[in-house]
Amino acid sequence: MANSYLTSESKKLATWYFTVAATLFGAQLLFGLVAAIQYVIPGFLFEILDFSVARMIHINALVVWMVFAMFGSVYWLLPDETGIETVGIELGKLLFWVFTAAVTVVVLVYIFVQVGAADETSIWFIHEGREYIEAPRWADLGITVVALGFVANLFMTGMKGNRSGIVTVLMADMIAFAGLYLTGMFYTDNITVDQFWWWWVIHLWVEATWEVFVGSIAAYGLITMIGAHRKVVEMWLWIEVTMLFGSGILGMGHHYFWIGTPEYWWEIGALFSALEPLPLVAMFIHVLYDWGKMQGEESAKGKDVSVITNKPAFTWFVLNAFGNFLGAGIWGFFHTLPQVNLYTHGTQFTSAHGHLAFFGAYATILIGMMYIAVQGKNGIKVMNNTTSTIFATSMITGGVVGMTVALTVAGYVDVLVTRAQMGATWAGYFDGQSGAWFAQGMDWRLVMGVVTFTGFFFLVKDLLSIGKATHHVR
Amino acid sequence: MAKKSVWSDNRFWQRSAAWITGFASVLLIWLTFDTSGQISMGNDSDLKNGVTKRVPGPTVINYKITYEMDKKRQHEVPVIGEKEKFFGRDDYSEEEAAKLLHLGKLGSQTKNCMNCHTLLGNGAYYAPDLTKAWLDPAWGPTGSMQAMTGKSTKEEAMAEFLQHPSQYPTHARMMPNLGITAEEAKGLVAFLKHMSSIDTNGFPRNFGKIQGAVNGK
Amino acid sequence: MNAMFEPFTDLVPSFFGTLAQGPLTLTIFLHTVIVLPMIWIYKQEKARLEQEGN
Repeated sequence: MANSYLTSESKKLATWYFTVAATLFGAQLLFGLVAAIQYVIPGFLFEILDFSVARMIHINALVVWMVFAMFGSVYWLLPDETGIETVGIELGKLLFWVFTAAVTVVVLVYIFVQVGAADETSIWFIHEGREYIEAPRWADLGITVVALGFVANLFMTGMKGNRSGIVTVLMADMIAFAGLYLTGMFYTDNITVDQFWWWWVIHLWVEATWEVFVGSIAAYGLITMIGAHRKVVEMWLWIEVTMLFGSGILGMGHHYFWIGTPEYWWEIGALFSALEPLPLVAMFIHVLYDWGKMQGEESAKGKDVSVITNKPAFTWFVLNAFGNFLGAGIWGFFHTLPQVNLYTHGTQFTSAHGHLAFFGAYATILIGMMYIAVQGKNGIKVMNNTTSTIFATSMITGGVVGMTVALTVAGYVDVLVTRAQMGATWAGYFDGQSGAWFAQGMDWRLVMGVVTFTGFFFLVKDLLSIGKATHHVR
Repeated sequence: MAKKSVWSDNRFWQRSAAWITGFASVLLIWLTFDTSGQISMGNDSDLKNGVTKRVPGPTVINYKITYEMDKKRQHEVPVIGEKEKFFGRDDYSEEEAAKLLHLGKLGSQTKNCMNCHTLLGNGAYYAPDLTKAWLDPAWGPTGSMQAMTGKSTKEEAMAEFLQHPSQYPTHARMMPNLGITAEEAKGLVAFLKHMSSIDTNGFPRNFGKIQGAVNGK
Repeated sequence: MNAMFEPFTDLVPSFFGTLAQGPLTLTIFLHTVIVLPMIWIYKQEKARLEQEGN
């Protein structure tokens, strides 16, 4: 696009990644809405676009938009952190187009082919039918190549330029992130072995490497947006890495309670994952404490101007601090002990946790990075909120929190009726689903889903137009 | 002035992060080797010799499976009993049974079961959990699902349902037709029967034990 | 003491299974071996800071 203040090719590439990410975010919400309608009106698009298809696109678009936004965030901060232009930027641009094209083909196949025969051809070309990483095998290989190219660029840049603490953490984290994807690519007839390795991807992404990524991005944001001191920020980052990996790696045990794995995972999973909220508390305190500290330093100088140079982005970063702790920490801790999980595993409780955790921990901070990119692209020194910012932020956040509460209420019915009273049979399942609280929960989830989706349009409008507003400091 | 505390020293935390990440990873890998040994699939001679495996071999489809409370472990475990006919046979060879299971497991993925159902509790929550579906009384001789399909055995009833799900609605929310062939349905039922024999440490609790009136229904 | 320690109940005996002698034994053991070496890192860093301080 024209009128860009960006001189760094790496930052230009970042804006491309953010554009695709925002588009896929919209697709995620749209197909989530279809699935939510199907809970309320079961005949909606029946045998045209069934729940399984809508839900597959809903969660795949989620994972992919976040990966796009994560790649974008790294390409955005690299020039600032290392002081040089990203090495291999032309390769990065080529891989961006490869990635975008592959994702487009995969989604079109999901929508128009949907299911295949029970053979290897379907696994290679349609989908693998494994939650979150359904992408067919050809795309798996493509994604691996793209991820390796991205990691190579990050490493070459980090080694050539100034390797800050943030860049060091990102280098270690992103190579683990890419490498773990490989553990989810093989096929086995043994469903226990299948799910054992499937969690290596899912858990070690969202409860370990992605969280460390968020820690790095939060550190970068605090330095750039409120001028926090690098030494303090990086000390917090190392503490967070210690606690996140210390609890998160063996916290994987909480997925190994009931899939056929030995009983000793009860103990390992329970106590390590019970500690997983601690680093999230640390991140929460860290963000708010630094904000107060920097503002206090200004006040001490007799200035009463806000230290925040990007209001919308900082709002999303603070929401991340709250959302990560609440969604991943509290809602996760609810059902992480095996005594509780025996009844909550695989219910709407999990779904409630999933919604608030993915949103609170990842969506928030990645949207924040999009606003940072908008600021940079338009050469704005201090970026203020617009009416759309406020509508977007409150509707998306309110909508997701509302959905989470609704799903939690529905989850109680699932747990108490289907599981505890009825022993989880087919008949017991539908007893639970027919409960009044369950039905009401699903109605409210749909309403809150519509609120979220409406908020998304304000977000897009704002991202496209806020740079042209005249009330910023340039 | 007091000396700088180690607790606010970046290098201390950097080294701690490296140590803890590295050591936790090593432990995880060690645990993975230990667990992998325990969750590898058994074989036909294990079943014949009464060797209990967490994940039995595919020929488990030749046997009757029940889900019973284990006093020592204090939760239910699958118990493999005497021979039981599966689609009219109880003498599937290791190759035949493995082939059926392979077809069924592939089908469970290509038909996208996991994006409505849960398998071993993982997946979506739009349809019933399938972990112990084979043991669901609804499919048994006096069960409503078997009666609805007009078949005389559990496996035939399940296979019939899988091929024509929208003909047998159990709720306003129905399973769509996924183009499952007769052979694929047979494989899928074998996969479900095999899955029900996996030792899931007592998940789901009380499966199939509670029937009829709850809540004054 | 009877309630605090229980005999091995899992299907297959293993090193980790044997360490699981009750609701907390295995996990406390693992947490300890992970965290304890930080004392050594602490002492080394303290010595380094003291040297730099001089």
